[in-house]
Amino acid sequence: MTTSYPTPSEPREHSAEHENHNLTGFIIFLCSESVIFLAFFSGYALLKTSALNWLPAGVDGLEWQMPLINSVVLVSSSGTIYLAERAKARGSIWGFRGFWLLTMALGSYFLYGQAVEWSGLAFGFTSGTFGGTFYLLTGFHGLHVATGVGLMTLMLIKSFIPGNYEGGEQGVEATSLFWHFVDVIWIILYLLIYVWQRS
Amino acid sequence: MTPSPAQGPRFSPLSVVALVGWVGLLVALSVWMGQQAYHWLPLQASTAAPLVDGLFSFETAVGTFVFGGVISVMVWVVLMHRAEKYDETDAEPIEGNTKLEVIWTAIPFVLVMAIAVYAIRVNTSLGVLGPMEHIHQDNHVEEVGGYPGDRLPAENIEVVARQWSWEFRYPAANVSSTELHLAVDQPVTFRLVSEDVLHGFFVPAFRLKQDVVPGRAINFNLTPTREGRYRLRDSQFSGTWFAANQADVVVESGDAHTAWLSQAEKLPLQSGISDAVDEYAARAKRANPGWATVPPAPPPQVNVPGSNNLPHDA
Amino acid sequence: MTLATFPASEPKPSWTRYFSFNTDAKVIGIQYIVLAFFFFLIGGLLAMIIRGELITPEADLVDRTVYNGIYTMHGTIMLFLFIFPVLNGLNNLLIPTMIGAPDMAFPRLNAVAFWLVPIFGIVLIASFFVPGGPAYSGWWSYPPVSVQNPLGHLVNGQGMWLTAVALSGVSSIMGAVNFVTTIIRMRAPGMTWFRMPVFCWTALAAQSLQLIGLPALTGGAVMLLFDLVAGTTFYDPSGGGDPVLYQHFFWFYSHPAVYVIILPVFGIFSELFPVYARKPLFGYVYVSLASFIIVGLGLIVWVHHFFTSGVPQWMRNLFMVNTMLISVPTGVKVFAWLGTLWRGKIRLTTPMLFCLGGLFNFVFAGITGVMLATVPVDIHVSNTYFVVGHFHYVIYGAAVMGIFAAIYHWFPKFIGRMPYEGLGKLHFLLTFIGANINFLPMHPLGLMGMPRRVSSYDPEFAFWNVIASLGAFLLGVSIIPFLLNMISSWVRGPKATHNPWNAIGLEWLLPSPPAEDNFGEHVPVVISRPYGYGLGQPLVEHQAEIEQVLTAAELQEASR
Repeated sequence: MTTSYPTPSEPREHSAEHENHNLTGFIIFLCSESVIFLAFFSGYALLKTSALNWLPAGVDGLEWQMPLINSVVLVSSSGTIYLAERAKARGSIWGFRGFWLLTMALGSYFLYGQAVEWSGLAFGFTSGTFGGTFYLLTGFHGLHVATGVGLMTLMLIKSFIPGNYEGGEQGVEATSLFWHFVDVIWIILYLLIYVWQRS
Repeated sequence: MTPSPAQGPRFSPLSVVALVGWVGLLVALSVWMGQQAYHWLPLQASTAAPLVDGLFSFETAVGTFVFGGVISVMVWVVLMHRAEKYDETDAEPIEGNTKLEVIWTAIPFVLVMAIAVYAIRVNTSLGVLGPMEHIHQDNHVEEVGGYPGDRLPAENIEVVARQWSWEFRYPAANVSSTELHLAVDQPVTFRLVSEDVLHGFFVPAFRLKQDVVPGRAINFNLTPTREGRYRLRDSQFSGTWFAANQADVVVESGDAHTAWLSQAEKLPLQSGISDAVDEYAARAKRANPGWATVPPAPPPQVNVPGSNNLPHDA
Repeated sequence: MTLATFPASEPKPSWTRYFSFNTDAKVIGIQYIVLAFFFFLIGGLLAMIIRGELITPEADLVDRTVYNGIYTMHGTIMLFLFIFPVLNGLNNLLIPTMIGAPDMAFPRLNAVAFWLVPIFGIVLIASFFVPGGPAYSGWWSYPPVSVQNPLGHLVNGQGMWLTAVALSGVSSIMGAVNFVTTIIRMRAPGMTWFRMPVFCWTALAAQSLQLIGLPALTGGAVMLLFDLVAGTTFYDPSGGGDPVLYQHFFWFYSHPAVYVIILPVFGIFSELFPVYARKPLFGYVYVSLASFIIVGLGLIVWVHHFFTSGVPQWMRNLFMVNTMLISVPTGVKVFAWLGTLWRGKIRLTTPMLFCLGGLFNFVFAGITGVMLATVPVDIHVSNTYFVVGHFHYVIYGAAVMGIFAAIYHWFPKFIGRMPYEGLGKLHFLLTFIGANINFLPMHPLGLMGMPRRVSSYDPEFAFWNVIASLGAFLLGVSIIPFLLNMISSWVRGPKATHNPWNAIGLEWLLPSPPAEDNFGEHVPVVISRPYGYGLGQPLVEHQAEIEQVLTAAELQEASR
């Protein structure tokens, strides 16, 4: 069955609009993802403020110095990923790759630092709500850092494919956005867990 | 999609009279339904009941009027504005009316806010919820005290909810039972605790309900106003024998209550009522008893088991 | 003016595509809807067992543990495996065609989102067969009772329930990202926001709620899962946890979830009343905007589901006031529909009957909703059958009837055949009568003090329970004409033209059924507001030519 339509306009450009949609979709997803952190944060705050005995036996509090170093590392990596994007915009693909790799290294160091901290702690996941919320929050955040490093690896590999950026740079933009998101979450987390301490 | 001629509104004197008459009929029906609402509720056995019933009756009346109004319009439309059999044309293209939008936004807003104000007033009068404190489950001594407030001296009763029984302790009289006894017109403060999961302390005749939360002791006040035997039902799903977790509430005269307490104190402790324990035992003998269950807690050891299968008033 | 050729004659697509990983939104839509009704039958069967048990006061039909598992799975299946998937199915069929898009923004993501449904459906059904049985604490799964895990196994019904709900959440978020992006980015030229059909407005509103609310449920459920299997104490007071915290997480999503359910139904009513009254939707702009006021208010009322749990008085009063306010934008919509019907030319077709019946039930449910919002009344009736009656009036009485209306209305468009009117009207009659007989008696039962979720009850509740059960059995029977109609119309119903209802909308300017990419590259330019009945203006440029081409093709087809 053949159906004919009069031509109303130019046929739509598909490829460019499709990639715009990717970034839009990703931003929408990130907004939704932030709510799950919000939920964990509010649960943590409620449990902490209503607890009769917040700290488990034998625990005096959390050491904040090592995590502060980790935080500086992570926040700096937001800076380096921004520099990577700037390099790319200038046309320096190797500059981009360099700063990108640096970001990945900083992110990996953060994860390593987190693992070191975890292994040295005197309490576990099941040590009351203190332990439960600590590992839940830092663990879930760590999962996001690991995912970010994974996405960056993917983007780094793709940067070697010829013609990869012809349709736009949504992959790099999305990964970068995700990384900044992970950093902002960490700052809030650091304030809630390490700065706001109670007995 | 054929255009049709526009028509202006028609308000003949007859239609105005008919409309006013119909509205009057709806008002009468609504008032009547408001009165009927009282019959749908159990008898009133606490100071809270008339307040709650009054609010519900008012809501029923208003709801009847709104429902009646909307349905009247729908019925009228279906009867009087039906398309002619072979008429494929469109109706008049009325797209909206801002004045009407304002009216039917403002009036419902005012109405629901009025109901809300009434409800807040009733809520305040009920004043049932006392302070709450967190406790350690295995240490029932509270860290922060709770007070019933400026009231007549209240009888204090501790209510222990378990899977699946209700235990009532009278610390002042050193009495415990699985049948709740209250003195009529005497305010009482309950201290609700759970030894395991969430339960719900619900006495329909009193119109009051409070969840029992493990890890907390919740103070809950009421004043019964009618002698009789009423049902207490678990209202927050608590597992296999949730439906069987019922007890009786006996409201008696002050003298009868004092007498009951002094007699009860002398009685030796024995197993109280727990239908779940009996059913669990019977269930174990069956070949295919069903899916897994937590075993019931042993029946509380009390002075007075009482009964939970005598006829009850509500 | 040159004529371009539409995609040439396509071979008739095979029915096997409905069982494959297909990225066409119209295929995915049918997949969602048919799968949803498959689970509807299972959930309905469970309902028959529930009402069979409750027709007598004693727990004498099945063991109490079995009853608890059955009522839990009835609710869970009906919500997560029927209502949400069927609405996503409608979204898939309607959103791209209504806005003139060739497909959804992310077609492969769309297919993945669908295929998660049978996966978590299998997990949920499988939970009936693990030792210990399925989850048994209601579809809320409140701790501590939900994590008691009597047998102590790692693989247990509650754990499988949590896994299935988590997968459902992932599927829904994927869908939500897709629907929202599509509506925001892929509308036809000339389709400004206020030329977009109301169904798309309500879909946008509903999916925004999914995006904002679901992660809270996910968070709360993750913590519950850890309490169940890992020994944490988030909700266990012995470790400093709080059972009521779970209730906050759960209801922060699950209240907006009810608007996710009803908003699309509001959209369906807003689409269908104009067609079957031949009149524009009254106050289209206000109806559209009211959807978002409902979104905003819907996010700040969740505590009204647990007024009796020990939340402080100020919180009860605050959430009561917020809840009362939702009736205002909802009222705007109800009055708009009345305004649409008034002085229209009413046609009582099957879709129209379902819409009218749905509206009737919805208004009733709205009134009991206002009663439930007021704390003193709620304290008496919460956790009783009054609430069960209320929400079944909304979900079955209004939402399901609205969904049936949509199916009968758009069946010709997407299947290409006309459903049978006689069977449709019979379905409506049995549904409307059955639903009212089933759910009205629940209100006096609740007022008298019968708790919900009970496997047995005191004898004074027997009378209304018998009536409710008879109504339920009638509802069970009512599905038969529906299934017969769907199957036989699909196979051998009369072929449908592109616009059997003479409706105004972009989807009605496509052939029935549409080609895989809908309008393809030749999307018409929208030049007027929607619902222009009686105004005599075309919806799009070159509308007359488009209609002519479609009609010519249909005549050619018919003469073969």
